[in-house]
Order: sequence, then C-alpha cells, then structure tokens
Amino acid sequence: MRIKSALAVAAVAALTAACGGGGGGETSSPNEPVKIDFLSLAWQKESVAANKQLVEEWNKANPNIQVTYVQGSWDNVNDQLVTQFAGGTAPDVIHNDSPALAGFATDGYLLDLSDKLPAELKNDIPQAAWDTVTFDGGKGEQGVYGVPFLQESQVIIANKKLLEAAEVRVPTADAPWTWDEFSAAAKKMTKGDTYGVAWPMKSPVNKTLNLALNFGGTFFQTAGGKTTVKVGPEEREVLQRIHDQLYKDKSADPAALGQGTADPLPAFYKGKFALLPAGVYLRQQVAEQAPDGFEWVTLPGPKGTTTQQGAVSQTLSIAQESEHPDEAMKFISFFLNGPNQAKLAKGDWLLPTSQKAAADPAMTSEENGWDVATASAKDLVVAPFLKVNGFDEWKSKVATPVLQEYFANKITIDEVAKRLVEDGNKVLERYQR
Amino acid sequence: MTATVTRPAPPRRPRAKRRHVSRQTREMWLLMLPALVPVLLFSVGPLLYGIGLAFTDARNTRVHETSFVGLENFTDLLADGDFWASFRIGAIWAVSVTALQFLAALGLAVLLNQNLRFRGVARVLAVVPWAMPPVVIGLMWKLVYHPDAGILNDLLGTDVNWLADFSLALPAIIVVGVWTGMPQTTVVLLAGLQNVPKELYEAGEMDGAGRWRRFWNITLPQLRPVIVAITSLDFVWNINQFGLVYVLTQGGPGGQTRLPMLFAYEEAFRYRFAGYASMLGLAMAIVVLAVLGLYLWRQMRENR
Repeated sequence: MRIKSALAVAAVAALTAACGGGGGGETSSPNEPVKIDFLSLAWQKESVAANKQLVEEWNKANPNIQVTYVQGSWDNVNDQLVTQFAGGTAPDVIHNDSPALAGFATDGYLLDLSDKLPAELKNDIPQAAWDTVTFDGGKGEQGVYGVPFLQESQVIIANKKLLEAAEVRVPTADAPWTWDEFSAAAKKMTKGDTYGVAWPMKSPVNKTLNLALNFGGTFFQTAGGKTTVKVGPEEREVLQRIHDQLYKDKSADPAALGQGTADPLPAFYKGKFALLPAGVYLRQQVAEQAPDGFEWVTLPGPKGTTTQQGAVSQTLSIAQESEHPDEAMKFISFFLNGPNQAKLAKGDWLLPTSQKAAADPAMTSEENGWDVATASAKDLVVAPFLKVNGFDEWKSKVATPVLQEYFANKITIDEVAKRLVEDGNKVLERYQR
Repeated sequence: MTATVTRPAPPRRPRAKRRHVSRQTREMWLLMLPALVPVLLFSVGPLLYGIGLAFTDARNTRVHETSFVGLENFTDLLADGDFWASFRIGAIWAVSVTALQFLAALGLAVLLNQNLRFRGVARVLAVVPWAMPPVVIGLMWKLVYHPDAGILNDLLGTDVNWLADFSLALPAIIVVGVWTGMPQTTVVLLAGLQNVPKELYEAGEMDGAGRWRRFWNITLPQLRPVIVAITSLDFVWNINQFGLVYVLTQGGPGGQTRLPMLFAYEEAFRYRFAGYASMLGLAMAIVVLAVLGLYLWRQMRENR
C-alpha cells in the first residue's frame, strides 16, 4: 500500500516537474553551439524555399550558432506571440509586420536594436523604412524594434486586352493616373457584363488607409500626447471615390465586395472586370495561375494630391528575453543583406528595403511588372496608423465593420465619419490611461 | 470526510489506536493525492487565479504594473456595448443550438430505437461526428460553405458567401453546432428510450392509445430525467463553445458571430487586457450557473 502510494506521489511530482520546467533553464557549455529559434511567416512556396535555404546556408557556415526554422502563420501569429511572450517561450528571431510591432514594443517584449545594428545593414536600408519600425518603447523613449525588409505598395493589375480596347492613356510610373482618370477609365471599360474595376473589401481597413494618403488622409492626429481619430475632407476623398465607382458610376463589380484580396482572381481571368487594385504581391498568383494566353500588366497606383501611400514593412525582431541577442543580430544581418533580400523579395513578390537588393537586375525587369512595382517604392511613407497604440482594436472593432457597411451602401459617409471618430476614440482611450 | 468523523475518538483510547487512525487518514490522503493534485494544480488553481485577475487591471505585457481595481472591470463590462452584443449572440446561439439539437436528436433516437434493418450500422453512423475534433469539423464545414467551391452553393445553385454574410453567418454556424452536438445527445436519449419498460406501452396499447398518445404520455415523461440532464449539459457546452466558431468565422463578419468566449479570447490575447477578459469569463460562469440553477430547480420541483 504504502509503496504504491509513494510511487504514485513520485510519479505525479515527476509529471508536474516535467510540465512546469519545460520553458527555460537551458544551460549550454561553452563548446556547445548556441541555439536560436527563428519564427518565419513565409507562406508562398517560393518564399518558404528561399527562407529555408538561407537558414541552411547559415547553419553550414556557422557551426557555433545553429538556427532552427520554426514555421508560423500570419493568421494567428500575434495571438501566438502574446501567449509565448507571457509564458517566456518566445522564439529569438521573430518575423512579423510593422503594425504589430508597435504594441509588442510598448509592452516591452521586443529588444531595442538601435545600438546593436551593424553599420552596413543600417546604411543599406533607407531612413523611411527605419521609420516604420521606430516606436515608443513604453517608457517614452524611441527605439528601433525590428529590421524592416519587405514592403508592400498598392498597384493596379490590369487585363491588357480590356485596357487596350478602352483606348485610355496607359499610366506609367512617372505619370500615373489621377483618381479622376482612374475613375473615368473604369467607367469607360464598363460595358454589358464587364465591369471596369473590382474592389475586394473583406478587409478594407489597411487598403483604404494606405490609399487615403494619396490625398493626405491620416485618420489619426496626436495633440498633447493624446491620439484621436480624425475624419476630415482629406480622409473622405478616397472613401467617397471608391463608393462612387460602386454606386454612382456603377463601374465596380459588386460581387467582389465581400471577397478577400485574391478571391476575385478567377473572375479577373474570365474578363469579368478589367482593373484590380491590389498589393504588389498578388502579381505572383496572377503570374502562376492565369490561364494561357491571358495578358496582364501592372499599373502604378493612382495619384491624388500626391502619389504617397502608407508603407507597412515585414520585419525581423529579437525577443527581449532572448538569451542570445547578439548571435540573433548576426543571423539577421546575414539573412537581410542585399543579395539575400533580393532572394526573399523575389520569393514573396514584394519590394526589398535594401538599396542593394533593389538595384538587382531582376527587380527592375519589365517581366511581371517588377519595374512598376519597384518604382512604386519611392512613394512609400510611414503609415500614420503604425504609431497608434490600440490601432488593432480600432481596426477590428470599429473600422472594419463601419467600412464594410459603407461599401455595402448601408450607411452614409457622415455616419462613417461619426462612428470612426466617436467609437474609435472610446477604443483608443483604453490604451492611453 | 472520514477524518473529521473519527477524530473525536483518540483522547479516550491508548496511543496505539490513535496511530492506527492517523495512518488510515494518511493513507486515504495518499490515495487521493494522485487525483487531487492535478485537480488542484490544473483546475482549482487557475480558477482562483482567474477570479483574482478579474479584480485587477492586469495586462499581458512586460512593463505594466498590475494593481487592484475592485469592481472597475465589472462596471466597464456593464457599459460595454460590444459585450452585450456578444452576450446576445451567445444567448441566441446557446438556446437555439441546444433546442434544435434536442429535437433533432430525439427524432433520431426514436428512429434508431425502432426495429429497422441495418439498425446497428445506422447507430454507428449516427455517432461518427462525435469522433471528430471541433477543429476538423470546422474545417470540413468551411469547405461545405465555401462561396466558390462549396458543395452547398453547388447543390442550391446559389452564389452566397454563407460565412461572410451579415445575416446568414449566425444561422450557418448554428446548423454546424447542431450537427456537431447531435451524436452525444442521440446516444444518451437512445439509452433513456431503451430503459422505458415495455409493459407501459403494452398497457397503453390495450387502453387504445395511439402512437402519438403513447409517445406523449409514456415516452416523454419516462425520459424526463434524461432530457433534463442532457439539455443542461448541452447548454453549458454550447455557451462555452469556442474552437468550432473560431475556425469557421473567427467571430466575423463584423462581430456577428462573436460568442462570449471568442470575445474574451480577443480581449485577452489580441488586445491583451487580461484583467478585463477574466472578468468576462467570471461573468459568463455566473450567468451559466444562474441559468442552470434556475432550470434544474424548476425541473426538480415539478418532479416532486
């Protein structure tokens, strides 16, 4: 009896110890290689391959710093990181995007890289890109909380046949369409069953906010340390123009409204609409999936008072609690050097921040619209919402439903403005207590 | 329990006896330990910790200093329109899924209780959904509802984005909820049906009661305790549902399917307000207990 129960106690104790002690406590002797976990969010086939290949290259060249590739997913990375940070099991090197960094930086989970960055890496990436990862670290000081490496700009992917048939001026990187020209062209291309343009607006917020900068629409203002939402004439421009295409000109395909960015592609190949405003990365799917004989071109994004667009970067960061921050930094500077960034950019069909990578001939060839895409990088400025603490909650609780209802023509632009501001400020207040 | 009953004995007895009692007590505790430790460690501990958190302004961050805020989270909750919207959705979901589940399962159970051919096979098939984890069920139904490649649009010849439509999303996930929960309800009701004494039916038949009459006056009253038990279990299960809906819609579109547990999850893991989310969990637990208490109490009283 006694022995058995004692055994049971021992078993339970061992079990709980095993469960509880899973996290830290890795003591490595000086000869053993340092181990670094790298959480990657690459998902396109080419991009995953490029990521894994670079990790392999590094591991071969650096037997003392071994990197483990950990596959993550954009769908739930932030939920995953919140739990991992709280539990102290976060990976050392973290792939994410700049909007998410603001929150993690303020919460103190990410390492300030400002004095760790090697000069070569620092100089290769322009200041505008560094601005997208510079945040308040929670105690009022500004820090760099990630290395920006891939950026997305908005372009218009067009059906070449329909574009030529409409006999409109074909925009170039130096002379893009104005929004008026864009709407007029869309109207001209609308004939019978064919629409001029399609706006997939399942997740409307980032897209419209980035484009709103065409007219200087920032949506947020900071005064006296307090950030509030603002929807003035500048902010309304792009919203109104898209709405007009949908309901006044009737040049936009209503079927695309509820769809995600890539969902309208089958209809695009069938010629149901001519223009698809989208992020540069969507070119990859068009290039790979379009039926034979389907001709398409990449057009630059439209111009309002400026051609500026909000920039969001993909980033690599180091966890505050990483045991080997210096080794992690070494890995990042290898991973994101010019030639490697070009590989990653090609794999993801996005724009590299590295100036060396952007000069790569493959990045400026006319094939698959790389020239137009790379040229659009000069229009990228820091999206103002990046710096707003609580943006994520504003986006999912307020802005997404409001914009969805607006583009479904259920509410007026005045109601949009009212709800974005009033409900929005309530949300932001929680973060500024 | 035994310890408190036997304890008064020792003073009158010699030492040997006391030792014996204490040894017995010790053995009892030792035997209970393997069961007790996990319960304390993994259920009671987190529960108390969660209740404690509910009265603080805890956030899932590294730099924030948590302080006690009393009932502030609770008053915030009462004034939070999103919470009430989510609560309303949760109530619609839990009540309709439980009710429909019960009706469908009762029908199925009565059918499976008949002397059909292939009854064994049919019974096994009815239990199949039970063997699937909620996430797999979610993924499967996502394919069924898929706007372009979905079998449902194919069958109906429609072009509806079921899970993204503001008014259709909730009914669509309710159907999935009913489908998921039917097997266990059916099995329990079937077991109940098999326990109804045959003599009652024979007597009813002798007295000239029709099928419907026999069902209404014999089957249902006989099943009553089983029905009460399974519907209350189903209700608790449904109002706390998370995985299925998380996979299907993540609470979208525009929060139309944001059940209370999804809401709490978002507060805790997306916006990192751990204290507020704990209060939400606590409030839901109290609501469930209250509803169940009322329901069970009424059923018991009527039974008497």
